Amino acid sequence: MRAVTLRAPTQGRTWLLVGLSVLLVVLVLFMEALKPLFQFAFPDLQSPLYDRESFLQLTLDHLLLVLVSSVISVSVGVGAGLFVTRRGGREFEPLVSSLAAIGQTFPPAAVLAIVVPLAGFGFVPTIVALTLYGLLPVVQNTIAGLGTVPATTLEAARGTGMSRAQILLRVELPLAMRVIIAGVRVSVIINIGTATIGSTVGAQSLGTPIIAGLVGNNIAYVIQGAVLVGLLAIVTDLFFERLERRFSFGG
Amino acid sequence: MIELQGLTKTYAGKDVVEEVSLRVESGEFGVLIGPSGCGKSTTLRMINRLIPITRGRILLGDEDVTELPPEQLRRRIGYAIQSTGLFPHWTVAENIAVVPGLLKWPKQRIDARIDELLNLFHLDAGEFRHKYPHQLSGGQAQRVGVARALAADPEALLMDEPFGAVDPLTRDVLQNEMLRVHRQTGKTIVFVTHDMDEALKLASRIAILNAGRLVQYDRPIELLTQPADEFVRNFIGKADLGLKLLSRRWVYQYQQSAEILEQPSSFHHDRSSVTHGWEIDDQGRPLCLHGGRLYAEESEQRTRVTHEWSATPDMTMKEALSRMVWFRVMVLPVLDEQERLIGEVAMQGVMGREP
Amino acid sequence: MHSTKVSKGESEGLVANRVLLTLLVAALIGAALLPFAAMAPNRLVSGQSVGLVSALLAWQWGTLGLLAVLLGLCALSRPFSLPAAYRLVLVAAPLWLLLVLYGLGSYADRALEDASSAARISQGAAFWIVAFCPVLMIVDAFQRLHTNLALRSLYAALLAGSVAAMFALDVFDGLAILREYANNRELFAAEFATHLRLVASALGPALAIGLPLGLLAHRRSGARGPLFGLLNFFQTIPSIALFALLVAPLAALSEALPFLRALGVKGIGATPAIIALIMYALLPIVRNTYAGFAGVAATTLEAARGMGMTSRQILWRVEIPLALPVILSGLRIVTVQAIGLTVVAALIGAGGLGSFIFQGLGQYAIDLVLLGAVPTIALAVVADFLLQILVAISKPAGAR
Ligand SMILES: Nc1ncnc2c1ncn2[C@@H]1O[C@H](COP(=O)(O)OP(=O)(O)O)[C@@H](O)[C@H]1O
Ligand SMILES: [Mg+2]
Repeated sequence: MRAVTLRAPTQGRTWLLVGLSVLLVVLVLFMEALKPLFQFAFPDLQSPLYDRESFLQLTLDHLLLVLVSSVISVSVGVGAGLFVTRRGGREFEPLVSSLAAIGQTFPPAAVLAIVVPLAGFGFVPTIVALTLYGLLPVVQNTIAGLGTVPATTLEAARGTGMSRAQILLRVELPLAMRVIIAGVRVSVIINIGTATIGSTVGAQSLGTPIIAGLVGNNIAYVIQGAVLVGLLAIVTDLFFERLERRFSFGG
Repeated sequence: MIELQGLTKTYAGKDVVEEVSLRVESGEFGVLIGPSGCGKSTTLRMINRLIPITRGRILLGDEDVTELPPEQLRRRIGYAIQSTGLFPHWTVAENIAVVPGLLKWPKQRIDARIDELLNLFHLDAGEFRHKYPHQLSGGQAQRVGVARALAADPEALLMDEPFGAVDPLTRDVLQNEMLRVHRQTGKTIVFVTHDMDEALKLASRIAILNAGRLVQYDRPIELLTQPADEFVRNFIGKADLGLKLLSRRWVYQYQQSAEILEQPSSFHHDRSSVTHGWEIDDQGRPLCLHGGRLYAEESEQRTRVTHEWSATPDMTMKEALSRMVWFRVMVLPVLDEQERLIGEVAMQGVMGREP
Repeated sequence: MHSTKVSKGESEGLVANRVLLTLLVAALIGAALLPFAAMAPNRLVSGQSVGLVSALLAWQWGTLGLLAVLLGLCALSRPFSLPAAYRLVLVAAPLWLLLVLYGLGSYADRALEDASSAARISQGAAFWIVAFCPVLMIVDAFQRLHTNLALRSLYAALLAGSVAAMFALDVFDGLAILREYANNRELFAAEFATHLRLVASALGPALAIGLPLGLLAHRRSGARGPLFGLLNFFQTIPSIALFALLVAPLAALSEALPFLRALGVKGIGATPAIIALIMYALLPIVRNTYAGFAGVAATTLEAARGMGMTSRQILWRVEIPLALPVILSGLRIVTVQAIGLTVVAALIGAGGLGSFIFQGLGQYAIDLVLLGAVPTIALAVVADFLLQILVAISKPAGAR
């Protein structure tokens, strides 16, 4: 199959990113101001605004979950990808690749659930599940990205007398960076979603008002949480899209 | 017969083919040649209406191609391209069967036709019928591509640089096969290439295009001897013009009678009368040449006739000359199919009269 | 891609197969340090850990040890040649796996004999490691042998059959997860069916919408940017948020339009779940359909046109057959994804296996959680494997 890259038009994307980011920040900080609106839309609700924790706190908790797990999965994932593409670890490459592929067929929500009996409820199991799951796209894309570097380019790099470390840092990684970042993007987006579900295993996040709303039949809570987490995911995705584009060398 | 009349194609206001008029007679091997981007493919693809004509007319026989439904027109014209375009998911037989299938030929007729075509290209039907394109070598794939184009016995054959992507040896073989197939089928062919040697070898008429315009349309010899302008002269290649000319001359045109020595042992060098003579066996096959060396002082005055050091009547003079130079001998024996001596060609003959 | 062949140099040292050795060591360390099983007096408290050696009978862990030694020898360059070692792994590893499974089941039976009826035996971390490592050993051996998909499928079917037979023979009945199953037998069957029904009712419309859209993206380059932008937007929204966001408008719609209500459209339940699943499924389907068509070589199409095929003939005889494997790969992605997302749909009352998970999480009943999670994972893996086979079959014999 011929590789087909899908490029959305870049024009206007930047403004979308800036606009949505501002919207996200404003909503996180000033959701209270919309209380009359929710009151009007859902007159039957006694409490039309989620107020057990501030949305700022929930957002920060959410970001912390995603950040901690992503930092771990990116460093471990890129490290593993590098290891299996070097001479010493090449033997592990087929197994690691298929492990990453099989692992991604596991539903994230099920992985989260299965970690609970092993690690308990709360922040830690969510971090563990997010990290494990987030690893897979990173490993997969690191291997794929390094694999796209043409053999002739490597040959030329060796021919100019670069050391192996120099080849890695100055040739392979820059050329593979776009694909690696695409993997990180997938990983982070999935983690934002899974962190939302994390509130069902006791990790506080933007999913908390959604679950509270679904359980307590309060649609206003649901909307508040869902809009924020949806915006967060979209802003993050747009950000990574920009980042990816910076590393596409005409390819 | 294919005739272009004032054919023009415009892309974004720019004429990439401009007022091209030419006529490829029935059974003729017409070649379109020119530098890359001069509009050869565009011209060719207007003939089977793969791209619409901006202005002008194209006649196939006495029909205007624009008056035929495009699909029906294309089924009447074979089309072969450089990358073969063989369908990767179909076998050789299925690929060849495409157009006959579209024309709803009965199955037995299609099967017979597939075998016939594979035989025509010296591909073993039993072996190749069931192969997939990726199992073929470049040369085999190209043969199948041409066979497929010929499948429904089309009125004409369009070929766009069909041998452009194969190695030089295979290309030479394919060109020879193409000549033979053309002789055997008598098809009208329009063939695009950018390789002058290929054009000279195959064409009965060559059309030289430059920047969308037809510069000269002539028989190969006339192109070589009377180039229309500086562009044509340059394009033909000034440096080896003489050799190119010889590639359109054949040994039989220069063949002379050969002196047969009754008593080879008594042959002695005598500049005033016979410079060389042939010793033959009782079947009339030449054994060796006495004399005829480039320099008299060369020690070996007898030259054994070998397969390489000989000519056939249908060999080009370019090749015959090349053999003379290589073996440092002034003459070559000309042999018939049974390898009997029927004459000779000599270096002086090449320099002498026009055939 | 990197070559999967093992280079000669690596087989010359003492260790011929470092992957196998690593997996073996990981399994042994896991078995030694982590709990193999846990026994709890009832459903809601966490249990007492038991190690592998104390949980299994002497013949069981003895045999496991022998198999470990055999696998260890397979990892070395002597006494077995490489291909022989790989084949031996394909025999020893499944035996190890089946024995671990059997050992766990038999431990549960024995432990329950002298315990209260509320007692629960559940599997521990070491069990997962000791069971997963041989699976990876098998995968690795197949990769090294370059075995074709048909043989692999046969092998997988045999292995799955053996495990199924153990279920049928009630080997695992003592385990908490199966006792949970026994308590919820009908419910489980119903939720399993609901899960499949939700997935199927999303995939049908998603294909019906996605395939033409993919073709459109291929034919009209102008439509591509906005279309993929929109579908990526759907795909980016976290599942729970999308499910939840659909609840309010659907509730309002069904409130306002009685005929929708008559059709069963409600704010919560299957309707928003299926709509959300379709929205998620569109991007992979459209993208792969587009990629499949775009991947058909331009020269192939040129030849098809040049020979006088009509556009319709080109579409059905050339483009679709050549694009089909890529399109089906999209279906594979989407099916696996939908099976996973349907878990979340349980949160908006759509049912499915996810309801066990969230119910279990709410009650701190871990075994109930596993009753939802483990079958979901198994379902996803099986669907992935089956569709992989379908993709392989759909590849035209001649296409590279
Ligand atoms: N679809 C098209 N749109 C615009 N320009 C085209 C198109 N196809 C061909 N051309 C231009 O027309 C000219 C002739 O092209 P072509 O016939 O393919 O040349 P060649 O002689 O190499 O076969 C080239 O300059 C090419 O760039
Ligand atoms: Mg061309």
